[in-house]
Amino acid sequence: MSSVVAFSFDVLAYSSIFVLVVLGLGVIASMMGIFNFAHGEFVLLGGYTVYLFHSLGLPVWTGMVAAPFAVALVGLVLERVVIRRFYATPIVAMLGTYAIGLALRESVRSLLSGQFYSVTAPLVGSFSFGEISISRWRTAVILITAVVMVGSYLLLTRTRFGLQARAALENPALARASGISTSRVYAATFTFGAALAGLAGGLMVPIYAISADMGVPFLIKSFLAVMLGGMGGFEGAIAGAALVGATSAALPWVIKPVVADVLVFVIAIAIVKFRPQGLIAKWRS
Amino acid sequence: MTIDDRNRRPLSASRRLFLQRSSLLSGMIALGGGSYLLNPEGAWAADPIKVGIATDLTGPISWGGIPNSQVAKMVIAQINTSGGLLGRPIQMILEDTATNEQLAVTKVRKLVTQDKVDVVFGGITSSMRNAIKDTIVNRGKTLYIYPQLYEGKECTPFLFCTGPTPAQQCDTFIPWLIKNGGKKFYLPSADYVWPHVLNEYARNVIVKNGGEVVGEEYFPVDHNEYSAAVNKIMSSGVNVVFNTTIPPGVAAFFKQLNEAGFQKRGGRLACVYYDENALGITPAHEIEGLASCLDYFRAVNDPSGNKLQAEYAKLYGEKAMFTAGSGSTGMYRGIKLWEAAVKEAKSVKREPVAAALDHAKISDGPGGGCEMVPGTRHVKMNMYTAVSKGGKYEIVEKSKGPVMPGECG
Repeated sequence: MSSVVAFSFDVLAYSSIFVLVVLGLGVIASMMGIFNFAHGEFVLLGGYTVYLFHSLGLPVWTGMVAAPFAVALVGLVLERVVIRRFYATPIVAMLGTYAIGLALRESVRSLLSGQFYSVTAPLVGSFSFGEISISRWRTAVILITAVVMVGSYLLLTRTRFGLQARAALENPALARASGISTSRVYAATFTFGAALAGLAGGLMVPIYAISADMGVPFLIKSFLAVMLGGMGGFEGAIAGAALVGATSAALPWVIKPVVADVLVFVIAIAIVKFRPQGLIAKWRS
Repeated sequence: MTIDDRNRRPLSASRRLFLQRSSLLSGMIALGGGSYLLNPEGAWAADPIKVGIATDLTGPISWGGIPNSQVAKMVIAQINTSGGLLGRPIQMILEDTATNEQLAVTKVRKLVTQDKVDVVFGGITSSMRNAIKDTIVNRGKTLYIYPQLYEGKECTPFLFCTGPTPAQQCDTFIPWLIKNGGKKFYLPSADYVWPHVLNEYARNVIVKNGGEVVGEEYFPVDHNEYSAAVNKIMSSGVNVVFNTTIPPGVAAFFKQLNEAGFQKRGGRLACVYYDENALGITPAHEIEGLASCLDYFRAVNDPSGNKLQAEYAKLYGEKAMFTAGSGSTGMYRGIKLWEAAVKEAKSVKREPVAAALDHAKISDGPGGGCEMVPGTRHVKMNMYTAVSKGGKYEIVEKSKGPVMPGECG
């Protein structure tokens, strides 16, 4: 019984972290058609913001609040200066964002002298129920992820900005003709995606420690999640992330971890084979 | 995919752009990067002795490469200020191998063929050593000294290893763990060469000392979700977790293990690459009681080590510290043993230096003196077992004299 609870909690916690990471990537990929290979480094910058606040002696939670804004600013500047030149050429965009990511990662590495630093979570320890212990901070991350998920969903489906963003995605020419500045909408969408990455990074730091390669392990699986969920829909990315996260966490319980890592991809590719439109493909159909 | 028509450019312009950019790029490649020439200070009459350092200043392994290169710079500057070697200054040529084996081969080829260095120090991972050794030793006919702790079994002529081996890290450590932890071991590991070979050795020592390996499991090197492993550890009554998973994932693992209550129920965490830099990976309370076995800790508090630490901190600060787990003490030993060998051979030629290095000895250094075991190209050195308490190490056991490397003999 206790291991069933531990199992469910761990799978849920890891999936939440994964959803949080994929959210920003999914928003940018599905709303703009840009596969942002610097996403892992946006996550890293979020983590670095928290580390900076922590090393300045400020409370960790203030860093977590600041992280999405700091990374949003970086995202906005990058979009205005570099990314907007890539909209017409998605392949170049992949390479370009990869290069940006590499530059960001190596800059942070040199700031950290290549070392690893921990940041203590605002909530330390675990809740104990008999034999079962539930990490407090992971619980908090699950709750925050749920709130952010609902918030992002409402923003993209119920607000004027969401409508404009979807319009700019569906038919840029018509959107412009109707008086929507697609350029501005793209900038805002990219900034929003970057902010989500920053938040993910900030919340992850107490779990994974800060190091330049913090975002790397998530990147490829995040793309897998977006592909699995289906392009063009924000819910798709979430569903894909939940599935990839859950299988990544659950499979090592039953088979060798090294095999599990490969199996996650095999399962995802099999699903894409039979459902090429993705798990949820609503908006674009 | 969204296509914004305004960003389309006429084809001819993009071809021109392509030509411009490709010429810029090829120019950048031709100039090269990550190569540093450090000339000795002062006026010297004699030609310099050239020392090549090839290490990972960038990329994931720079946690070790950065302090390694700094220790090399410091020690070489020390030798130069005290009159050089054989009356000649030492010039250091530092190459950034960028945690990239293909690139590293090009870099060391430059060191041995273009710069014609007299010796090469460097490499942190075994995959790096294996990638560059042939270029240095066989094709380059140059001496190679490898500084990091590793899994052993490197017996290439003219390749000397100055870091600790599995025998040195396990022979005294595992009996201590059985006495101060328990008999049931679990070996969570990253899936690459070092953990596989080290575990094989550790398993023998565990069994020989009456212990038992309950589980040995390999994870992808970038794995960061260890709930399944934590559950197995907690449900199978494991006493000692002998960890060889690596950063950054190890942070998540130790945290999950601590939150599950492993230490609270008396479990002992052990990890043989854990040094002062590694203490930063997790908050102190999560690794309370973690035991490590290395050739040096600051807590050894020896005059020679303290002096080097003070000087190092003055030059480079406290970010990438001078530690054993990063191969820095191995780098120190390597340069000083090579210096002793050059003095004895009165030459920098490979064969006489290698012959003298085969039995070279230094009386002092971080953690004490050390010497090459003749015929093995490995070093016997003092080993220390330390336990992390409140974010600092405490030495709990010191080897009785230098420990044999048990390699190539």
